[in-house]
Amino acid sequence: MAERNTEQIEKIRDVVAQDLLSGRIDLLLGWEKGHYWWQSRPLFARSKKDLDKLVWDPFCAVNLSRYLPDELKIHSKVGVLVKGCDARAFNRLLQDHMVQRDRVVLYGLPCPGMLDYSRLAEEAGGNLVGLVEQNGRVILKTDSGEKEAERKDLLIEKCRDCLYPNPVVYDQMLFSPQGEKSAPERFKVVEELENLSAEERFAYWEKELSRCLRCYACRQACPYCSCRECFVEQENPRWQGRAYQTSENFMFHLVRAYHGAGRCIDCGECERACPVGIPLQELNRKLIKDINELYGDYEAGLDAELEPPLLTYRPDDPAAFSEK
Amino acid sequence: MPRIGIFICHCGSNIAGTVDIEKSIEAARGFPGVVHVDEYRYLCSELGQDLIKKAIEEHNLDRVVVGTCSPRMHEVTFRKAVTEAGLNPYLLEVANIREHCSWVHKDIEKATPKAIALLRAAAAKAALNDPLVAPSVEVEKRALVIGGGIAGIQAALDIAEAGYIVDVVEREPSIGGRMAQLEKTFPTLDCSACILTPKMVEVAQHPNVSLLTYSEVEEVKGFVGQFDVKIKQKARYVDPVKCTGCGICYEKCPAKTPSEFEMGLAKRKAIYVPFPQAVPNIPVIDRDACLYFRKGRCQICAQECPPQAIDYEQQDQIIERRYGAIIVATGFDQMNPSHYGEYGYGQHPDILTGLEFERLFNASGPTGGKVVRLSDGKPPKKVVFIQCVGSRDKARGMNYCSKICCMYTAKQAILLKEKVPDAKSYVFYIDVRTAGKGYEEFQRRAAEEYDVAYLRGQVGKIFPESDHLMVHGVDSLSGKTIEIKADMVVLAVASVARADAPEVGRLVGINSDSYNFFNEAHPKLKPVETHTAGIFIAGACQAPKDIPETVAQASAAAVKVVGLLSKDMLQGEACTAEVNQAECSGCLYCEAVCPYSAISPVEIEERYHGGTLKRTVVEVNPTLCHGCGSCTVVCRSGTINLKGFSNEQILAEVDAICLQR
Repeated sequence: MAERNTEQIEKIRDVVAQDLLSGRIDLLLGWEKGHYWWQSRPLFARSKKDLDKLVWDPFCAVNLSRYLPDELKIHSKVGVLVKGCDARAFNRLLQDHMVQRDRVVLYGLPCPGMLDYSRLAEEAGGNLVGLVEQNGRVILKTDSGEKEAERKDLLIEKCRDCLYPNPVVYDQMLFSPQGEKSAPERFKVVEELENLSAEERFAYWEKELSRCLRCYACRQACPYCSCRECFVEQENPRWQGRAYQTSENFMFHLVRAYHGAGRCIDCGECERACPVGIPLQELNRKLIKDINELYGDYEAGLDAELEPPLLTYRPDDPAAFSEK
Repeated sequence: MPRIGIFICHCGSNIAGTVDIEKSIEAARGFPGVVHVDEYRYLCSELGQDLIKKAIEEHNLDRVVVGTCSPRMHEVTFRKAVTEAGLNPYLLEVANIREHCSWVHKDIEKATPKAIALLRAAAAKAALNDPLVAPSVEVEKRALVIGGGIAGIQAALDIAEAGYIVDVVEREPSIGGRMAQLEKTFPTLDCSACILTPKMVEVAQHPNVSLLTYSEVEEVKGFVGQFDVKIKQKARYVDPVKCTGCGICYEKCPAKTPSEFEMGLAKRKAIYVPFPQAVPNIPVIDRDACLYFRKGRCQICAQECPPQAIDYEQQDQIIERRYGAIIVATGFDQMNPSHYGEYGYGQHPDILTGLEFERLFNASGPTGGKVVRLSDGKPPKKVVFIQCVGSRDKARGMNYCSKICCMYTAKQAILLKEKVPDAKSYVFYIDVRTAGKGYEEFQRRAAEEYDVAYLRGQVGKIFPESDHLMVHGVDSLSGKTIEIKADMVVLAVASVARADAPEVGRLVGINSDSYNFFNEAHPKLKPVETHTAGIFIAGACQAPKDIPETVAQASAAAVKVVGLLSKDMLQGEACTAEVNQAECSGCLYCEAVCPYSAISPVEIEERYHGGTLKRTVVEVNPTLCHGCGSCTVVCRSGTINLKGFSNEQILAEVDAICLQR
């Protein structure tokens, strides 16, 4: 079991319970424990009683904003707990006109970064049964004893290079913000791939994408995938072949990545959701890097008022393609 | 199953020389849905068209593919032919096997399979072609001319004379443009003002013309027949109805600033008319120079104005009007030659550009018409003219010839001799270009009767030395170095596109060449049209040109406009975007990128979990849509589709080329 962060959970509960009671919101999107103690899954709380299940622990990785468009079809006002990435996802959805600002109450949770169970288990060695956090360190409890490790080494992939742990948009910030972060290695893998020859690069992706099951979990978790009918499911024209083969996997992932050009908020949910561990975020980051280089620095989701570069025309926009 | 007929054109030997027609026919017979294949030497001829019409009837064809030249050339011809045979024109498909195949290849063995692939793709697309109907668009019988120089004036007069209403937008306080700045015109030495001002007055007084001076076009939307234009009429701070044009205001105004009209060689007042013959003769107040606007004190003009026409409270006005057609006649600028360090422009008052020198001849110019040195007021005895400053110069200027400099230099040398009889002119030139009626004779006169020394060669450096300018050059014919102790140097600088031409081009939706001159639709056959229907160009905004050429082009553009306005209705675009609202997620990206504002959000209701749900989707206004396809590109789910170029059709073409090699 992870140690319960009782004080913070009580604070969250107090605030949102009041809003649920007063009718400011009809639904709260939060997290509750999943099947295992190291899983936290979305909680859909309609009443104060539902809030008993609420948790805020180092496993609340799921991006809750992704659930807003559907929930707003049934509920008139929805509250949502937002970490840095959930808040940027909200801006993404706002720019895509998938949510309405005045129908959502955002409770900001500065995020320390979420922990990766497989990294914890590996670090622990034995059968991991719980953990305690202490000043940036994690004490891992196993059947056979305890082991200590640096917290930053146990983060899930998407949190390692997170630049914005604090919500960039909120109605109410619940805790004091996390310190500034830098992510010097954000584009490290992309740069390594760029330096490969075209053949080597193709071989790399062929190997990675050959594992894809086309379960579309990446798409389901993604805040930029908001189409009513995804191109992969369309029959006429049939963009996506149904065959289970690598070339069709390429078709899916490359087209999806292009649909995220200038829109991906780099929340890494696709990669986290992938059951076979394809480094999907590197595809998105390649496009983020390209857009930054072509059109100047742009961070999708930071500011919903800022026009995405691919939806704006400036006379000095570059026209050339580089054939690297 | 469609019944497709394929017709392959030899185009003489244009196609048949590089594409094996027999093999192509054989292959085409095997394409899905093809029931008839034929060929002809010139399919665009009457006989060729008849061949298609007869085949449609005999073989009951419902789709026609022609393997011919580019659809830009003859799509209209063949659409008309199939319409006459009773088919919808959009059931015709053109396979461009000339420009895309025979003309760009030499090897018949390789070109033939490519032609067959193009035909197969066209047949696959044609099978999915739907009959389309183009909407009719009403023509607004009013024209807009942007620019009130001689081009704009001439175009407006011709349109007005044909009986149509025309507005002229001029950003300066007066119409007249560059021609108004000239003293005399070559090759007849007419006084420029004497031939221009009657036209200025005529256009101002014409009942069909509205002059919008001191105004700028802010926005152009819409399309041929219906351009919706926003024009900003800048505040003059003078009531045009009350003002009598007496001129007391600018006589009394204490604030001075460099005059744009005099190329900065003289000062004007803060309240001013640019030149004495200005039309309209209503002053404007230059806010940046006016003491009242800058410091809140003065108001002398208001106190002195007899009819009390000064109105400091006046605001910029936005005028919104619809026009059927637009002529862009925005003129040209002079290149600033400061980067030619050897000529020292800007570092000595006696080194002038051609247009600056021109102003010295003018009676109302900075020297009152006396040709004198600006340094000491003495008449120049030796004047050196340098040609091609910035023209025909790949390295530091423009590649092109500015066309007017040889002639105006000859003119200025003649005028100089008449004003200062003991003056001697030297002209350094690369070539003397005098193509034009009476031009060669005029230039010879300058050389022979007015003692102008033409020196083929270049100037390497100009040094000011006591009260002279030492001009060091080379005579490339003799190879000798030349040194001239000149009193004055005149640089024939390049004519360049207006600095803001790219912005104007974007505003009205026309493109420019690499020098920012506006592009004509065809360099020979469509010299006044642009690639945007309903927008025409005239004058030096297209390329450097002299007055006769400008006037001719302006009249030509006017004829095009008159022809357009004489129609009540135009046929709009049939290939427009359409939305599948059920699948539209309402992200509105298409609305953001649509250049024609043809896409707008709309709320629909749909059933959801037993209830109804309101949600936003988009709709397309087919009369505004131009079928550019930008929306289809940003629509990630392919929910917005272009009629006539649908995703299904394009994929069918791709499949036909890729899958069946």
